[in-house]
Amino acid sequence: MAEDTLLSDDLLRQLISVGEVDLLVGIPSQYSFSPVADVVRAVEQSLSRQFVRQRVVIALLDGGEKNAEQLAAAAGNGDERRNHTHGITSLRTIHRIAVNFAAAPTPGAALHTTLAICDLVRAKAAAVFSPTTSNLSAESVANLLTAVYRDNFDFAAPLYTRHKFQGLLMRNLLYPMSRALFGSGMREVFPSEWGFSGRLGSHCFNQEIWQEEVIRTQPEAWMAVNASCDDYRCCQVYLGEKLPPKNVAAIDIVDILRQTVGALFWCLESQQTSWLDSEKVHSAPTIGPAHQLTSEPTEMDRHRIFEMFRSGVTNLEPVLSTILDPETHSEIKAIVSLEEGKFRFQSDLWVRTLYDFAASYHHAVINRDHLVQALAPLYRGMTHSYLVEHADSSPAEIEAADEMLCSEFELQKPYLREKWKSKVEVKS
Amino acid sequence: MRDTIIQGLSQAYSNFVHMIAEFLPHLLVMLIIIAFGLVVALLFKYLLRTILRLTKLDKVSEEAGATKVLRLAHLPSMSELLSRSLFWVTWFGFILVGLSVLGVATLQEQISRFMRFLPEVFIAILILFLGVAIANFLSRAALLAAVNAGYASARIVSWSIRFVIWILAVTMTLEELGVARQTVIAAFSILFGATMLGLAIAFGLGGQDLARRFLEKNLGPVRQDEKKNEPQPM
Amino acid sequence: MAPPRDNLWYKDAVIYQLHVRTFSDSNGDGIGDFAGLTQRLDYLQELGVTAIWVLPFYPSPLRDDGYDIADYTSVNPGYGTLNDFKSFLDAAHARGIRVIIELVVNHTSDQHPWFKEARSSRDNPKRDWYVWSDTDSKYQGVPIVFVDTETSNWAWDPTSKSYYWHRFFSHQPDLNFDNPAVFETVWEVVKFWVELGVDGFRLDAVAFLVEREGTLCENLPETHAIIQEIRRRVDAAYPGTMLLAEANQWPADVRAYFADGNEFHAAFHFPLMPRMFMAVKLEDRKPIIEILEQTPEIPDICQWFIFLRNHDELTLEMVTEIERDYMYDEYARDKSMRINRGIRRRLAPLMNNDRRQVELLNGLLMSMPGTPIIYYGDEIGMGDNIYLGDRNGVRTPMQWSGGQNAGFSPADPERLCAPVISNEIYGYKSVNVASQERFDHSLLRWMKSLIRVRNAFRVFSRGSIEFLEPSNHRVLAYIRKYGNEIVLVVNNLAGSAQAVELDVQKYKGYVPIEMFGRNLFPRFGNLPYLLTLGPYQFYWFQLRRI
Repeated sequence: MAEDTLLSDDLLRQLISVGEVDLLVGIPSQYSFSPVADVVRAVEQSLSRQFVRQRVVIALLDGGEKNAEQLAAAAGNGDERRNHTHGITSLRTIHRIAVNFAAAPTPGAALHTTLAICDLVRAKAAAVFSPTTSNLSAESVANLLTAVYRDNFDFAAPLYTRHKFQGLLMRNLLYPMSRALFGSGMREVFPSEWGFSGRLGSHCFNQEIWQEEVIRTQPEAWMAVNASCDDYRCCQVYLGEKLPPKNVAAIDIVDILRQTVGALFWCLESQQTSWLDSEKVHSAPTIGPAHQLTSEPTEMDRHRIFEMFRSGVTNLEPVLSTILDPETHSEIKAIVSLEEGKFRFQSDLWVRTLYDFAASYHHAVINRDHLVQALAPLYRGMTHSYLVEHADSSPAEIEAADEMLCSEFELQKPYLREKWKSKVEVKS
Repeated sequence: MRDTIIQGLSQAYSNFVHMIAEFLPHLLVMLIIIAFGLVVALLFKYLLRTILRLTKLDKVSEEAGATKVLRLAHLPSMSELLSRSLFWVTWFGFILVGLSVLGVATLQEQISRFMRFLPEVFIAILILFLGVAIANFLSRAALLAAVNAGYASARIVSWSIRFVIWILAVTMTLEELGVARQTVIAAFSILFGATMLGLAIAFGLGGQDLARRFLEKNLGPVRQDEKKNEPQPM
Repeated sequence: MAPPRDNLWYKDAVIYQLHVRTFSDSNGDGIGDFAGLTQRLDYLQELGVTAIWVLPFYPSPLRDDGYDIADYTSVNPGYGTLNDFKSFLDAAHARGIRVIIELVVNHTSDQHPWFKEARSSRDNPKRDWYVWSDTDSKYQGVPIVFVDTETSNWAWDPTSKSYYWHRFFSHQPDLNFDNPAVFETVWEVVKFWVELGVDGFRLDAVAFLVEREGTLCENLPETHAIIQEIRRRVDAAYPGTMLLAEANQWPADVRAYFADGNEFHAAFHFPLMPRMFMAVKLEDRKPIIEILEQTPEIPDICQWFIFLRNHDELTLEMVTEIERDYMYDEYARDKSMRINRGIRRRLAPLMNNDRRQVELLNGLLMSMPGTPIIYYGDEIGMGDNIYLGDRNGVRTPMQWSGGQNAGFSPADPERLCAPVISNEIYGYKSVNVASQERFDHSLLRWMKSLIRVRNAFRVFSRGSIEFLEPSNHRVLAYIRKYGNEIVLVVNNLAGSAQAVELDVQKYKGYVPIEMFGRNLFPRFGNLPYLLTLGPYQFYWFQLRRI
């Protein structure tokens, strides 16, 4: 069985000791223990205050030879948790297990192992938290776990307060596209922390997809899409402000596109029976305050973004001509020639562009990784247009515009379906 | 004298008939071999087509960019092309075998030489095909990387890579076919070496500043102002 | 056979707690008596207990089941005479069984002659034997013990028109130990009983003896001085007489009652008791380990007394609020089971009559450090009656047989001092001594073998304890050591089978011998020792180096 290879003797021994639990928290770490300590502390505080009677286990997945005692020491627990009288700590033992990989695990390997643990300890609910989240509070942890443990949701995605120009890829591509096609009402389809039920965890664990490249890097998106497509109960839980992740180098748009958009397109491919000929809408109730935007002033080099868009579209013309519909391509060439001050990337064109890309990905007109990379200049064009158009917009106006974009994705679904099902013609 | 003529003609007639009598069976055998070869070739074509479709070769070929090249040349898809090629090669082989049965010495020698040359032809075609596919793939990859990194001369970089790989593929093809081997290798070496030398001189002398900026950008610390260039996508 | 002369007998004892009133009735008046108790001593001897703790048997209006005493040097006529008591004492001693009685000196009944005198006028010589005040504002902030029935620690006396202090029921006025006459009288009471032959005293409510303004009126230095004086006199005149403290406090606070070995010989370990129940329900050893890790060392001659249940409610005073809520939800969902921050149920009903859990808890009781106390009836799995009011539900007549009145009394059933339990599960027809003595695998038989094994080894009563903390938290494992005796105890607190690896490398080369069947187990080696245990199963291994 596949799960045999996930279970080292040491992990098996630890799981035997843990036994059955009610809650599992997985923390996949790609760094040393020190950044993890903050997250572990928040998790333990939450568990010892809000889930006092539940049987719980925290699993740290890390590259290296660390053990559960080091994890406990790194989290600085013990004295900090003695918040009761007479030195009595929590009602139950809070288990900590350390899963060691030869090298830092990929997100896919970490999630696969987490799901295996979830299955073996028969956890009723679980959550995964990223160690790079800098402002995770005990309350956030509790809210996420409550959604899947007490409120019986199968998938709980996070919801944040963001700056109006933060997360544009999510708001202008990933969210509206997945909402239109999969019917997913969750904004954060690429969450860095999320909760899931044991039922959904077992279902995902038993899928034969863990060797796919996409799953190695963005398994959480696949899990969210899976939950939406297979009629699991999904929700969103407000977790506060989204801060930039710690210890992350400068933004690499192309890399992010390859991981996220590539994953989304792969999901379209693998789940086409769910969306191609059906109309599904899943509500994802929000627990806590709704999605919020802030609008503090911020610096952006818009000119550079525009120049990269223009030079990119020009230089990639032979590639884009293979991917895009001729009409779409000519419209894009038309807006490329505009002056920066007059340039606007209209919503309908943006949506058609994305759908052309999605269909071309399906038909594999060129290497799929190259195809996704070719989207980068166009994304920059959309970004520039967005920054200009909403420079002085209020959060409410931006919300309205985002909602209209979602509607546009919905409206153009027949276009995508037609492209998806058609035969590829020779483009010379 | 009349008897001699009559005897000569009879002899010639007899020889001719004898020759025909000897030739006809060989001809019949040849025709049978060719007919049999046709059946075998059709069978191979069908089998190969089925196998290639199961292995989704066409999809791989599309992704590699080879299918595009084929379409431009008004050639069918990769699997169809290969299976048809196999058909013709197989049947042609049987035809040659059939011809060899006729026993014409000169013909047999030429056939034999051709048969020895055939594998090299296949390899040469394969090298050329792979070269084209790799050239397409790498040039496109380089184009995308250069464009997304903001290099102004992205297309030049892409074409350069495509050109170099094409030249390399053509050279290897000619070498494989044995066409002016020494000349081709020498010409390629000179061309390649000169190009590289020229680029090195141009880059070293004329592109000092560019080189310095390139190294700083990729190996030095990221400046704060560069971090503010783009909004966070996620 | 008289008990051997041993001043530390209480350390090795297995104690049986009973109420003479509900144990056995010899004269058919529906009330248990000493003559009846004497007749049952063979049963107790066969059970294997080595001491009996008798609940208050003094003359009393019985408004607090005898803890409201009206005469300290006599026997309630319902239970017999002083001679009957003496006969009982002698018979017990003849069987090697010691006797511990109650010394309830924090308060008396309001029907005691002392109080009647004290309240008669403010000038009465005995006025100062109790704690009086013209207002009820003294000693503000002192907690009320019986929160379900009392609203204040002061009660108004209409006779003398003043308030008197009572930490328990209002009909139990507190004695004033600031008056030397009170102390001397108490000493006379002690002398009286010791000279009669009693082996030890349980001092009830000892923490509350003295009051001082600005304190909680508990555990005061003056209280300790009083006890130490009693101890000094007892040691001088009657060595080997044990003083046992009933102080429902955190272990660190109880420690003071041992002083340097010159105060109490023994004290109850109250906080451990609810945690044993908690650990089984949680399937987690954490509560037990935590409380024992914070239990301080005590002088060598002193001893903790441990128990599962007693005549009072299962007290949840010495737990956190979260723990109390958990215990209520798990063990007393029906609120009528709850009283005074505790649960008024017997052992078997608490464990849902699950024999395995009952055995496990008794196994813990007999193997943890301290002197174990068995509450009468728990050795056969008696049930309770929560509808009897106060804590009387756990004080029903002993079930000796399936015959009339459970064999407790020949009287008419309506005349019984308390109704016998008669439901299908715990009723006397199902649960009684006679039937359990007839088959080999009854709880009673099992208890006998458990006590027999325990009594055979001093390590349980006097040994140290070292916790092994295997990674499987459902398993509680510890080593008891005393001289050459080493015992490994492994308990599965869970209701499912468990595997556990024990780090016993320190004992490499030892052979574990299971102590009930005397079977050998594989020798300890370099690797962790793997054991598997069935639901609620436990092992006692004697470790021998052969």
